[in-house]
Amino acid sequence: MTKHINKITAVLMLLFISFVLVFTIIKEKGKESFHENRELAQRPAFSPEDLYDGSFTRQLNTFITDHFAGRSHWISAKSRLGAQFSEKIINGVYIADGRLLDAEISKRSSFEKSVSEINRYVEGCNGAIYFVAVPTSSGIYDEYLPEYLLSNPENMQISSLYASLDSNIRKIDAYNILKMLKENYIFYRNDTKWTSYGAYCVYRTVIQKLGFLPTAYDKYTIDHVISDFRGNLYNRTLYDDINPDIIDIYTYPSGAEVISSTSYDNEGHIRQKLLYDKSMLNSNYKYRVYLGSEVPMIKIKTSVNNERKLLVIKDSYADCFIPFLTQHYSEIAVFSPEYSEKGLADFLNPNDYEQTLFLFGIESMSNENCFKVLNK
Amino acid sequence: MVYSSLLFIYGFLPISLLIYYVTPKKLRNAVLLLLSMVFCGLISLYFLIFMAVYTLINYTAGILTERKNKIAAAIPLAGGIIFDLTAILVFRTEYFSWLKDIIRAPEGFFPVGISFFTLSAVGTLIDVYCGRIKAERNLIQFGLYFLFFPKLLMGPVLRYGSFSKILSRRKCGLNEIGVGFTIFVKGLAKKIIVADNLYMLYMAVKSIEVTEMPALTAWLGIIAYLLCLYFTLSGFADMGTGIGYCFGIRLPQSFSYPMFSTKIRYFTARWHMQVTSWFRRYVTRPLCSVSRSRIYQKLIFIIVWAIAGYWYGFSINGIIWGLILGTAIVIENRFSSTKILRATSVLYTFLIVLVCFVFFSGESLEYSLRYMFAMIGGSGLLADTLLLHLLKSYTVIILIAVYSSTNLFRNMIMRSGKTKLGAVFTAASPLVVLLMFIICTAFISFSGSSEMMLMKL
Repeated sequence: MTKHINKITAVLMLLFISFVLVFTIIKEKGKESFHENRELAQRPAFSPEDLYDGSFTRQLNTFITDHFAGRSHWISAKSRLGAQFSEKIINGVYIADGRLLDAEISKRSSFEKSVSEINRYVEGCNGAIYFVAVPTSSGIYDEYLPEYLLSNPENMQISSLYASLDSNIRKIDAYNILKMLKENYIFYRNDTKWTSYGAYCVYRTVIQKLGFLPTAYDKYTIDHVISDFRGNLYNRTLYDDINPDIIDIYTYPSGAEVISSTSYDNEGHIRQKLLYDKSMLNSNYKYRVYLGSEVPMIKIKTSVNNERKLLVIKDSYADCFIPFLTQHYSEIAVFSPEYSEKGLADFLNPNDYEQTLFLFGIESMSNENCFKVLNK
Repeated sequence: MVYSSLLFIYGFLPISLLIYYVTPKKLRNAVLLLLSMVFCGLISLYFLIFMAVYTLINYTAGILTERKNKIAAAIPLAGGIIFDLTAILVFRTEYFSWLKDIIRAPEGFFPVGISFFTLSAVGTLIDVYCGRIKAERNLIQFGLYFLFFPKLLMGPVLRYGSFSKILSRRKCGLNEIGVGFTIFVKGLAKKIIVADNLYMLYMAVKSIEVTEMPALTAWLGIIAYLLCLYFTLSGFADMGTGIGYCFGIRLPQSFSYPMFSTKIRYFTARWHMQVTSWFRRYVTRPLCSVSRSRIYQKLIFIIVWAIAGYWYGFSINGIIWGLILGTAIVIENRFSSTKILRATSVLYTFLIVLVCFVFFSGESLEYSLRYMFAMIGGSGLLADTLLLHLLKSYTVIILIAVYSSTNLFRNMIMRSGKTKLGAVFTAASPLVVLLMFIICTAFISFSGSSEMMLMKL
């Protein structure tokens, strides 16, 4: 009896393993993952050096893992199972009541190198410089997280960042504004980033510091363009028990118009671009509805007639923030160091702009390579 | 490459099984060696070269040691042992980093399993010297002794004689593959489902400042550590044993339910059994044969435990772990005739073992002492909200861990052997194995592997 059972076990296991193996081999190896919204590892190129120190096997394991048969089903099964019988942290994401939160905010590497690049850049500037560091949803909704994950909470990260930035930079506190409004829909439930409404609330303060009166909320027409957006935290867990998110588009019909918005990429191509690129809503990158696909530089000209120019140096947090600024400046240059291979000076002369606004999510500050292009 | 990675489970393992079973029986040892070399080469080519050199040196030293003239034989014996011990000291301690530069080890290189094959190598040389076994002339079989991939990562440390006996008593077939996969999946589940979750719990406790740690949290943390360590080590050991079975090679098990033993002596006898008996055979016994004095023998006993502790941790803390454990066994033997209740003895053993592992787990003596202080309420707090959160999140996994580290389930199966219940258990087992395997795959699907944690052996 036992011998027969053992044979059945052997056959079942061998069949299952070969089945998965064959499917993994014959599966079409895509470049991007739809569910996870990221680029997948490509077949590692064989090289003796990589084999020598073992990195070839690591690449091979990543490749197999990324193209594993039924990967997205496996991951969502893991999220469901893991949330059932252990702590609700899956792949570094905390599954809280009604929202997903980044559980690894305290593990960020030091901001030191980013700060020194920024300070170096600021030394050579003439205009007024403003800095806004935006918390992630884990910073605002930290009461959902068990306290051992908060050994280095985001408000501390932001204050230590502000303390180490050059004293000529005017720092604007977004954290406390957002914290006060946390009952509102200011952060996505499935993403680390703020919503347009969150951005608007901070805009009201920022624009006053920049010397303008904010546009009143009731002047905007708000379109809920989609209501099934799932962001980066969902992509890491594929956990779909949380309500999907709504993406809003704010327009001010009687306000100033955007005359032109021109994008410049690393190869020197120049294209016209929309502030709200609705074609992105049908793609997998729904958040890119704000400012469209990523480019290093966008120059926006508006019908505002005050000859004021603003330079914004930013990451993706600013994408939904920029449209609010178009009511106040006749020209706005938007620089994304993350996507730039060329230095900022290759696109424009920073001293042509009397005001510079740095707008970054606090998580981008540990990406030390990002800021090197400022001084290139 | 570890056993608990997608590349191994869904790539290397099925392909090597296929190659092995289509090879004629005569060539199977050579194929096993070849496959093991591929395994080493996939860890890194440097590792393969390292292992090749290591094996060849031990092979030569073994042949040179086999002489009638004991004095002439002592030179290759000493040379071989010095080489083996230097190798382990170079890679497991920080004292010889300059030597690593000389042999051009790549950044971050660590020869996995070095702690185990060092013991094997030294033991074999001593056995040859003492004439207990003949030096192996067959390089394929001798190479397998070091490189055989199912025993590379986590032992068991076998004497050369036992290993070659196991190799010759090979029985291959579907039945063995079934048994092998059952053991393999058991080990995989131990590592991925239990140990990885307990590791998260231990890390959560560890992130609290030890001076502010409530007493119960400290207890929870060290229990999590001990269970996590047990499930990691025994999980890898089971995976190795299981893979060995699939190839028809029946490696012995390394752990035999040590966790809730009734005596510390039993705990140590069931924890890494082959390692414990290695130290007894090659260190304690020769040293004890010098003098018949009881105090001397007890002292040697304790010192050898300290050495074993050093072998585990290569730190002061490891030594202290061994010293406490050794001393505790000596004291325990003294009172061995005292009768106490079974539950009491399980409890006292578990407590002493926990205390030992406070030292085992800490990075420094100071940290461990502080941790002990926290356990007896040094922070002035008994519990806090974080503790409640952790208990709420991890109670299920701790209960699973405690239950499966006892032999209750095995005994139940054994007792139900011929009854109807037993038949149900047997009939359901293939599906249970497959289900566990699927769950484990899901758990490693995101990162692709579940690495070795807590210690490098």
